Parts: sequence; structure tokens; C-alpha cells
Amino acid sequence: MFRYLIRRLLWAGVLFIAVTVVTYVIFFIIPADPARLAAGQRATPDEIVRARHFLGLDKPVPVQYALFLKRLVIDHSLGHSFTNRQDVNKVVLTAAPVTASLVFGGVILWMMLALPIGVLSALRPRSLLDRGGMMFVLIGISAPVFWVGLILQYAIGFRLGWTPNSGYCDLLNTQGGCGGPADWAYHLILPWMTFALLFAAIYARMIRANTMDTMNEDYVRTARAKGAPESQVLRSHVLRNALLPVVTMLGMDIGIALGGAIFTETVFNLPGLGKLAVQSISTFDLPMIEGVVVFTTLCIIVFNLIVDLLYAWIDPRIRLA
Amino acid sequence: MHRKLWLSLFAAVIGAGLLVAAAVAAPSNSGAPQVVKHATAGGTFNIEITSDVTSMDPAIDYYVPGWQLSYATACKLVNYPDKEGAAGSQLVPEVAAGLPTISNNGKTYVFTIRSGYKFNTGENVTAKSFADALNRDANPKIQSPAIAFMDVIAGANAMADGKASTISGVKAAGNKLTIQLTTASPDLLARLALPFFSAINPATAANLNPAGDDTAPSCGPYYIQSRVPNKEIILKRNTYYKGPRPHNVNEIDFKVGNTQVVTEQNVTTGTADYANGGVPAADYKALADKYGVNKGRLFVKPTLSVYYVAMNQDRPLFKGANAAPLGQAVNWALDRRAILDQAGYLAGVRTTQVLPPGMPGYKACHCYQINVTPGTIAKAKSLAKGHTGDGKAVLWSMGNTPTAVLQAQIMQFNLKQIGLDVDVQTYTRGVQIEKEQTRGADFDFTADGWGADYADPYDFINVLLSGANLQASNNNNIAYFNNPKYNKLMLAASRLVGAPRYAAYGALDVDITKNAAPWAAYRNASQRDYVSARTGCYVFNPVFEMDYAAVCIK
Repeated sequence: MFRYLIRRLLWAGVLFIAVTVVTYVIFFIIPADPARLAAGQRATPDEIVRARHFLGLDKPVPVQYALFLKRLVIDHSLGHSFTNRQDVNKVVLTAAPVTASLVFGGVILWMMLALPIGVLSALRPRSLLDRGGMMFVLIGISAPVFWVGLILQYAIGFRLGWTPNSGYCDLLNTQGGCGGPADWAYHLILPWMTFALLFAAIYARMIRANTMDTMNEDYVRTARAKGAPESQVLRSHVLRNALLPVVTMLGMDIGIALGGAIFTETVFNLPGLGKLAVQSISTFDLPMIEGVVVFTTLCIIVFNLIVDLLYAWIDPRIRLA
Repeated sequence: MHRKLWLSLFAAVIGAGLLVAAAVAAPSNSGAPQVVKHATAGGTFNIEITSDVTSMDPAIDYYVPGWQLSYATACKLVNYPDKEGAAGSQLVPEVAAGLPTISNNGKTYVFTIRSGYKFNTGENVTAKSFADALNRDANPKIQSPAIAFMDVIAGANAMADGKASTISGVKAAGNKLTIQLTTASPDLLARLALPFFSAINPATAANLNPAGDDTAPSCGPYYIQSRVPNKEIILKRNTYYKGPRPHNVNEIDFKVGNTQVVTEQNVTTGTADYANGGVPAADYKALADKYGVNKGRLFVKPTLSVYYVAMNQDRPLFKGANAAPLGQAVNWALDRRAILDQAGYLAGVRTTQVLPPGMPGYKACHCYQINVTPGTIAKAKSLAKGHTGDGKAVLWSMGNTPTAVLQAQIMQFNLKQIGLDVDVQTYTRGVQIEKEQTRGADFDFTADGWGADYADPYDFINVLLSGANLQASNNNNIAYFNNPKYNKLMLAASRLVGAPRYAAYGALDVDITKNAAPWAAYRNASQRDYVSARTGCYVFNPVFEMDYAAVCIK
């Protein structure tokens, strides 16, 4: 287990370097000059040179990357934004909980929808319940996320006024008249619904398929033949095996989603990583782009590692080689 | 069979329901009815901005929403009055007791600072407050974009290069501020009215953190109480402000980041009072039909801006004797109505000139017929004949938005009428600007726009058309217009003051537009402001747009 962990961590380091290098290369291929943007539209060449030096862009690209790595590893700093000069660490760490709120709340909601729909559909195939469930799946997979968000926002937030139509309130900080668990959850109702719909549909379909496959296994037939109650067969034999792939998928999807639920955050004005990524790209803000990339990469690596370890714990047959 | 039929019907009902939901989603401006309260004086005015400011530090911010906000918080040597139209673009002394004493062939300015102005901390505003602002702007640690406007101040560049610790040409003694210039610059007052040069207190002067200070004390009617990036900005009344500018509401709250759709919803329901980032372009017609224009809810006001097609004089197509006749032909052929229509209802007015109406010195040209007719096309063709080279050209659209692409297609069609086969190329706005501002760029036509930094025609004519300013990159003269005769006239005009200055620029505008035609200007943009039912005292300053200091709650 220890050797497995070390090997995974080493590979994580390699992956991290690869991702950040690619980001740097792509950024410098784009024909836009952040120094010119920072110096303003009336700047002379001398002023642009000064701005370039101020931003550290006058060094060769490999040197810039080396300095970025050194700053990250030794100072634990992602630098300052080219656009608004804010500390990237602070901005990313402020945005991350917003995205985490959206994603983890969304995960809970989508599993609450997907599990019963998937299991009940599998237990009663081709019934009205099953067909209704699959209709929901079809709608969830087909409807674009931003469309769902706009419809919910308009219908529930604006026309009915049942929930706020946008904005985010901090879970703990109650300053500014909007904060605390109640406000936080109230503002996230529509974003959670929007974010969860697509994944709920996908997971419902996956759980249904896995459950139906597992129910045809020999050990399930044997358990029934030995007289075990159906609920015990379902709980101890069917679900435990059927949900193994779901665990894997869940870990990966959480990791990826933490990188930024871009559409949902944009529609509902949630100041999370997705919105930050879009803003940073449009303003050629390299430090901020790298900040989001670094954080997202770390999340994906960590969650994949957790999933692999969890998988080995859930299924005793799995040995971490 | 029956079951399948019922299931099919069920599916059809679901599908129909989705279609109904989509149809219901279309009109976004008919929300719950508003309850208009008869508010007392004071109150909180709520503004929605779609994009955050870059910074609230006056030395750093160079972005329209931030400058609009700073008009309510800053106090400057000279400022624009809280008035609309031409009166709003005439500089008046603010903290300066009067206009400066100018001597030494226009190179020495002495301001007398009046007493009574205070920061929200209670500290007095003095001559040193302005000297500190200039020095901080020039400090290399701050790397302020203001340095581009300080080139004429003696010693500014030396300080920006790190060769001096203060600007040698700026001195504060008692209530006198002296500014020495390297060369006479009659637009200095207009430059000093920029937010970069607002008074700052000693604590801000000492703050050389390149990240800036978002809550630096202010000496205007309001001050910045707090800012949470990408979320909100709160302004409060400066209780120490005793100046003549209005200050009606107690607090102004900015909410950052909502889309235009949500912003419109919020203003309609009264949750917000002003949609700073605008509403979806397609909704302005419905709003105008419902509320009228300039009748309390939807205001449409001209801005000091111009949109144009620049014709690259460095390219073979516009070399030498080709340039003027072909440029004139383009001006006759361009369908400004169709191009303007793509920007939405009441998005602007058509123009053929460099200077916008409202800019001091503007003189209506009537150089080209604004409506395209068979007659104008015939005239365009006759002017273009023999001057279209190989008949091929490249046009860059103004960014890659749907509006920009549609406008470029119209321009392409117009140019086809005069014998030019145009290849339209599209880039994101930032990339387009980067490329077109680099000398040697491979475009023949590029669509662009310019908004005034300050209300002086130099900011348009010289900045955008003087060949003396051309450099390897970062050119604003993207027509690469470099005519020695006009360069000389522009330089001469820049040295004049008062009425002769404006008359000279007005004449230059007409002359260049009619005879040299390096551009085909097509639009002066209008600002379309949608406000809530309780918004009163709306004032639109031509330089800083909606005046937050003047606004009140009905």
C-alpha cells in the first residue's frame, strides 16, 4: 500500500508538471500581450517595456516557468493577477469553496435522485416507473445545462420569486446582510438543481444498468435460493457490487467538477472557479489561469487517489499493486 | 399496444411542456409588478455591474465602470460638472480655487488649492495631496497606466524609469501646486481631470503595494467603504464633503457579475435600480415601447465615442494616390444604417466624422450622404475606379461577437459594390487589438471604436490619426495615417488654447474626413440606461456617463 501511494504521488507530480507546462505553452502561443493590456491603450513602447518587466514577462518563457515553479514550491504562491493585481492564492481559495458548495451539494442531490430512480427502474424493468425514470434520464442528458439554468432562473427565481435568481451567500460569514447556512442553501437551490440534473440522469442510467447486470449473477441467484430475504439480497449482494463503478465515477466527476462548473456559475453569478477561469482566459491573465489549472489538477489527482484507495477498501478482491 | 399508445402520449405531453417552457422564457421584462415607495431623501441606490472593476485604486484602474464610480468618490484639481450635454464636458475648477496661472510659454502651471475639502477620514486636501498622487502614479512600484498621460510633465519619465525618487517638475508648497512641463500641452487640464490624478491622503501616498488599495480614502461626495472582488462594492456618503456637487443618496451598493438577463429582471422588479452593464440588446425595443425614451425608465444618451473602419495606409491598396479616392469611395458606399441596426435598437447615431457631437470643436461635416442610394453607389464606384488594385482585400471584424460578424458581412457587401472582393477575418477582441496595433499587420480594413479618455479633441484627432505617434506596436493610429501636412496641422492645433483650438480641430476633422478619408466612421454610440421606477435625478455626464453622485430615490 505504501509503495503504491508513493508511486501514485510521483506520477501525480509528473502529471502536474505536464499540465502546467501545456498551459504555459498555450498561453504564449496566443498573440496577445498582457503587458500592453496592463500599460493601457495610450502607452508608448517604453511604457510597455516597463510593464513587461513589472509583470516578469521580459524573461524567456522557460525561465518564467521555472520561476513560477520555484514560487509555487518554495513560497507556495501563485503570484499576482496581471489584470487586477490580486493575490492569486487568495482569489482561488476564495473561489474554491463556492465551487465546492455547488459541487458537493449537487452530488448529494444527484445521488438522491439517481439511486432510487436507478434501483427501482432496475427492479421493475419495462414498468411505468422504469419508463418514466428513463424519460427523466433522456431529458436530463439532452437538455443543455445553461438552458436548464436559465429556465429555472426565469420560472422559479423571477416569475414565481420562490428563490433568489442569482448570487451567492457565504456559509459562515454573515457580513453584508447575506450569509449563514440558511441564506447559503437558499441561494444554491437553483444552482444545485441545474448542476445535478445532468449527472443524476447519467448516474441513474448507470445504476440501472449495473443493478440489472448484477441481479443476473450466480451469487445473487444462490443467495435467493438459500432463502435470503429480498431486501438482504439487494443490500448485501446486489447494491454493493453494482455501486462499485459508481464510486469510481463519482470520484472522478467530483474532481473534474471542482475545476469549475462553468455554465452553472455563470448563469447564477456564483463567484467560483469556473467563472474565474472564463474571466481569466478572456483577459489573458496567466497567473490566474495557472492558479485555476493548478488547483483543478490537484483536486483531480487527490480525488482519483481517494477513489482508488476507497475501491480497494470496498472490494477486498482488489489489491493495490 | 394500449400501453405503448399511452406512453407515447405521455412523452408527447412532456415534449409539449418543454416547448411551452421555452416560449414562456422569451419575454423577460414582464416580471412581478413593482411597488414604488415614496422614499424620503437618502436611502441606498443599488447598481448591477456585469463585469468587475480592475481595481478601486485611482492609480491603477483604467476601466470604464471604475472611472464612472470614481466620478462619485474623487476630488480633482479640475473636474466635469454634474450636467448633461455640452455643459457637462466643460472643465471647471474643483479643488483648485480657479483656473491655473500659466506662464513660461505654456510650460508652467500654478494651481491655488482652496481650503475646505476633506477626505472621509477628516484629513484636509492640500496641494501635497495632488503632488502625492502624481508621484505615486509615476512610481515604478505601482506601474500605473497614468504614466502614458504624464509624458509632458518634467521628470515624470525619469521617475518611472527609476532614475528619480520624485517628479522634478511637480512642487507643492503651502496651498500652491506647480507643474512644470517639458513642452506646452494645452490639454493638460483635461488630463488632470482623469481619475488617475485624484487627490490622495498621506497613507495612500505611502502605500506602494503594486496590488493597490481598494478602499483608499476619498475626498469626493462619496467614499469606498468596502470592496469584495467579483462580488460587491459599497460607497457611503463622505460626511466631510462640503463641496457643491450633489450627494443625494446615503449609500450606493454595487453587485457584481450578474448576466444582463438577470440584471434586467432585477431592475424590473426593483431589486436593483440601475443596469450598469446594460440589458440584452434585443430587449431595448420592448423597453422603449413600454416606458418611452428619456421619460424616467429608459434613458438613451450620446457618448463621446466613434466606431469606424480604418483603412491601412501602409498597405499597397492605399498607397500613394490610391488612398484618398478609395477612402472617399468607401465612405460613399458604406451602409451605415444596416451596420448600426445590428447593434440593436437606439444603439447610436450614424456619423461620417472623427469627432463625436458633444466633443468641443465638433462641427457637422455633411461630407458624405448618410443614406446609401443608387446615386451614392454610383459615385462610390466612379471614385474607386482604377484604385482597387487587384480587387482583393482583407477586413478584420471588431471582435468575434455575433454583432461584429454581421456588421463585417455588411461591410463586405458594401465593398463588393465598388469592386473589392473582401475576405472577412475574425479574432477575439483582444487578439484583434493586439494585431492591428502592430505596424505591418496584414489587414486592409479593420473595424474598431474609440471612447474619449477626456473631453478634448486631441484625444481623438492626434491620438488616432497623427503620423508622429506611429511606433512599432501599440499604435492607436491603426489607419497608419501619416500625412506630413496633417501631422503639422494636428501639432499646431494641439498648441492652441480655447476657442481657436476647438475651431482648428473642428476644421481638421472636416478636412481629414472629406479630403484624406483614412477612415469610414459609421457610428457614435449611445448609452442606453435602464433604471428602476424609484430612480430619480438622472444626470448623464458625457464623459463619465450616469452620474452616481447626482442620482436620488423618488
